[in-house]
Amino acid sequence: MQILKKELIVMDVEAGSSEEALRVMANHFVDAGVGKSSYPDAIVEREKNYPTALPATAFDIAVPHTFAEHVNEAAMGVCVLRHPVEFKQMGSPDITLHPQLLFMLAITDPKDQIAILRKIMKLIQNEEALNKIKDAKSSDEIYDLVSELLA
Amino acid sequence: MAKKAKILTVCGSGIVTSSMIANKISEMLEEEGYDVTAMESNPSELETYLLRDKYDLIAYASPIDESCLNGTPALPAIGLLTGRGEDEFKEKALEILANRQ
Repeated sequence: MQILKKELIVMDVEAGSSEEALRVMANHFVDAGVGKSSYPDAIVEREKNYPTALPATAFDIAVPHTFAEHVNEAAMGVCVLRHPVEFKQMGSPDITLHPQLLFMLAITDPKDQIAILRKIMKLIQNEEALNKIKDAKSSDEIYDLVSELLA
Repeated sequence: MAKKAKILTVCGSGIVTSSMIANKISEMLEEEGYDVTAMESNPSELETYLLRDKYDLIAYASPIDESCLNGTPALPAIGLLTGRGEDEFKEKALEILANRQ
């Protein structure tokens, strides 16, 4: 199953805050038809209550996602921010991280999507891949790289 | 007969991250000869899960209310997502499973 969508790979996003970055990305999910109209608010709300940034080996990243009721179709997007913004760390909301790379997920049923979730987990542990994504020159380059790693 | 381990994973929504963690722990413990049952939950459901059933180990990716654990061992599991501290988690988990009553 291909959950990575080309139209959900967004580069050079200028955002002054995590909320702004999340809304830019989440709106793309709505435009692509994979997120319901409630998806952006749900993503922002979920991030406030249960933050999703992780201190990955290469640099900080975040994996924003929300409840399946806001999702039409399973999808994954990649957002490269022009500058890192402040997010809170998953599990430790008192720790501030500075991700520049977001992997936004729309998950309908984790049981169905466990194989892909496992590959996403491997991806966020892959220092070389994360660096390549951050330094990519085009969204096609990111698409090809991530598709290969999730195949 | 395989040794059994019953794990409860906890994350913010009780879906995505807890499934990733559950999958990772299952792989980890199956390598060590355990037959693993894993359930996923979120912090607000945790107490109900623990009243309904008994678990050998809780692995959490979001802060939990320790007062409802009632003696169930719990380990932070963010390291399983980042890949940092995986070995330490495994060591502690195996120790907890070996020492359970």
